[in-house]
Amino acid sequence: MAALAGLTALAFFASASLRPHDAPALELRPALLPAYLALSLLRLAAAYALALLAALAIGHAAARSVAARRVILPVLDVLQSVPILGFFPVAVAFFIRVTAGSALGVEAAAVFLIFTCMFWNLAFGVYESLATLPEDIALAARQLGLRGASRWSRLVLPAVFPNLVYNSLLSWANGFYFLIASEIIAVGPARYTLPGLGSYLAQSVVAGRYEQTAAALLCLVAVTAAMHLLVWGPLETYAERFHFDESGDRPQVPRVARVLMRSRLVRALIGRVVVPGSEAAFRFAGRALDAVASRRALQAVLVLPLVALGVLAARHAWRTFAEAPLSPALAGLPVDLVLSLLRVGFGVGASALLAVPLAALVASRPAWRGPSLAVIQIAASVPAAAFFPLIVALVARGLGLEGAALLLSLTTMFWYVLFNVMGAAAAIPREMNEAARSLGLSRLGRLRHVFLPAVLPGLVTGCLTAWGAGWNAMILCEYLVVDGRTYAVRGIGAALDRATYETADPQVIAASLALMIAMIVGVNRAFWAPLYQRVTTRYKLDA
Amino acid sequence: MSGTTDADVLLRVRQVEQFYDRRIRILGPVDLDVRDGEFLSLVGPSGCGKSTLLRIVAGLLEPTAGRIDVGGVALAGVNRQAAMVFQSFALFPWMSVVENVALGLEARGMAPLERLKRAEKYIDLVGLSGYERAFPKELSRGMKQLVGLARALALEPELLCMDEPFSALDVLTARAMRDLVLDLWKSPEVKTKSILLVTHSIEEAVALSDRVVVLRANPGRIAEVVDLADLPRPRRPGAAAVSEVVDRMYGLLA
Repeated sequence: MAALAGLTALAFFASASLRPHDAPALELRPALLPAYLALSLLRLAAAYALALLAALAIGHAAARSVAARRVILPVLDVLQSVPILGFFPVAVAFFIRVTAGSALGVEAAAVFLIFTCMFWNLAFGVYESLATLPEDIALAARQLGLRGASRWSRLVLPAVFPNLVYNSLLSWANGFYFLIASEIIAVGPARYTLPGLGSYLAQSVVAGRYEQTAAALLCLVAVTAAMHLLVWGPLETYAERFHFDESGDRPQVPRVARVLMRSRLVRALIGRVVVPGSEAAFRFAGRALDAVASRRALQAVLVLPLVALGVLAARHAWRTFAEAPLSPALAGLPVDLVLSLLRVGFGVGASALLAVPLAALVASRPAWRGPSLAVIQIAASVPAAAFFPLIVALVARGLGLEGAALLLSLTTMFWYVLFNVMGAAAAIPREMNEAARSLGLSRLGRLRHVFLPAVLPGLVTGCLTAWGAGWNAMILCEYLVVDGRTYAVRGIGAALDRATYETADPQVIAASLALMIAMIVGVNRAFWAPLYQRVTTRYKLDA
Repeated sequence: MSGTTDADVLLRVRQVEQFYDRRIRILGPVDLDVRDGEFLSLVGPSGCGKSTLLRIVAGLLEPTAGRIDVGGVALAGVNRQAAMVFQSFALFPWMSVVENVALGLEARGMAPLERLKRAEKYIDLVGLSGYERAFPKELSRGMKQLVGLARALALEPELLCMDEPFSALDVLTARAMRDLVLDLWKSPEVKTKSILLVTHSIEEAVALSDRVVVLRANPGRIAEVVDLADLPRPRRPGAAAVSEVVDRMYGLLA
């Protein structure tokens, strides 16, 4: 509750005290695309490096000490359920004011925004793999005297490595997805545009120059595909050696990566670069983390600034509400909230209904898994704004604004469910499927007795994540600006957008954020957490 | 394999081969007969393809080449005459013991009351009565494998296939389970009379089997089939006759 109050108060940083600022328009010549792409990649890489370091330090602290866990897990839980997009104005105002509006401040704001969409799953991933570390292994490490840097490099990093690779891939997809929102920064009268692929995409959409949108999208897809081939594929292969269990099939390495593994060049690359490189990296990271992640350093970096920020924010909140007349727009917010809730609920349900049959289809043809995973991961990192022109075209064909908002929100939410269900399906041990077949279960029987129960935890996780992402989607989808026109439906996301971009009303920004957070956290506690608990205890695959 | 008539043979393996990735031969060609009522073991070092061969016999894996004949008919798909016991137990964690054991019967369309009776009979036979409503995660490893055994036997298959069934268990539990399997094999209560066991333990194979197929690795091939029908039971480990056979088999693999 304290965290919630602090966060709500933080929202008041988005005050109108920023001076009007107009961003110069970006040059949209396609020849500049590689340069924009490089800038965006640099931002993503910087944010990722920060997120990785923070996730390792914080996830490790949470796994190691009960006291730290009591503080860190609830805070992470609330923070990750906050719609990232809702806090963009806040964070931006903070950075820009601290640096007096310099270009560096805007860059820092953008990197911070990307950080916020990369960090949470990494931190939870680190915590999860360390919390489920086989006890014997932890004991053996202690008995062997691993301590400090060597404990990091020999025990902690290898233990979290597979999970980290998987989550890094998701983090990057997320980073690409929010690239537009982080490169075009608008708070009230102040607008900043950073040169990059995201701002290029957004400007070309707003200007209605769709052939340039297409070129930029092509660029994005090419980069994502290249990263799958050259980074994630080899890393996933390499990560296999860090798994603890020796039986059962693990999720297969994507086929493209497997084909690549056969080529002499890639094998040489892995043998001469990846393996020794990663060993050196583990040693180096071990020393660095030992220094960074010590208890005292964590306290200095995390606790003190958080407390200071909380005090500052609370003072600000007091001023915004107590010293100004209440905004009339506040009265409509509860109805807005309910409307958005209905949309998010629809999105979760529709995503589940689409994802389960699709995952079952892929699971029944193992050869499809690799290619389909790659396609899905690439598709999932296409920013929603790239779909705007398509949606607008559909609106013109009579889809209706409501339908457009629902469809667009599905493009955000669907992937989470599909990913998680497919992941759970891939984790079904081969012997379990064989047992079902040898017992003579029909196709339908295997679906009912093996597939559905086995993917249920994944389905719940996916729906839970989609539910969180859905509120972000509302901020994106309820209020669109395409080709100079505004398309809006009534909802809490639209209310927040309007207060941010049109009226610069800090009271509505704060109230709509607070309502959204209260709704998300409340439903998480009352519905998702108990459901997840029940499903994982009953349907866990480790008999 | 002289002296075998068609009537005695439950299942024929003919020229079976298995390739990995279409290029690397991991098994075969293998010819083998599984006789009616015999306890047959496959032993060999890891990588000799014994589990692969077992999965092919159970119809869980389609061989790259060759065929399996069951009662004179070529096997296609899952072998309905066979049931499988897995090394990792492969129990369904979300089902109780009795639900696990009855699952195959349900799949074969047996009426609820009847399959409950059948499942309870086999749960009782393996000594787990009282645990019908327990869930796998509440059981010890040994008890889990008893459930796996009951689940396979409840199907009353002609052939019981066991893939390293005792190697995830501690020595004492494994010994108790071996004795139980022998008792069940001889018991008139149990319909299944042919057993195909995969193990990496020569001692285990000698203690249990009528015949032992010794496989060699890279690619997996039959080195020799050792007939132990004349070796008297019970076969105590360390008894002179038993030790002699064990030593001879180690020699075959050296």
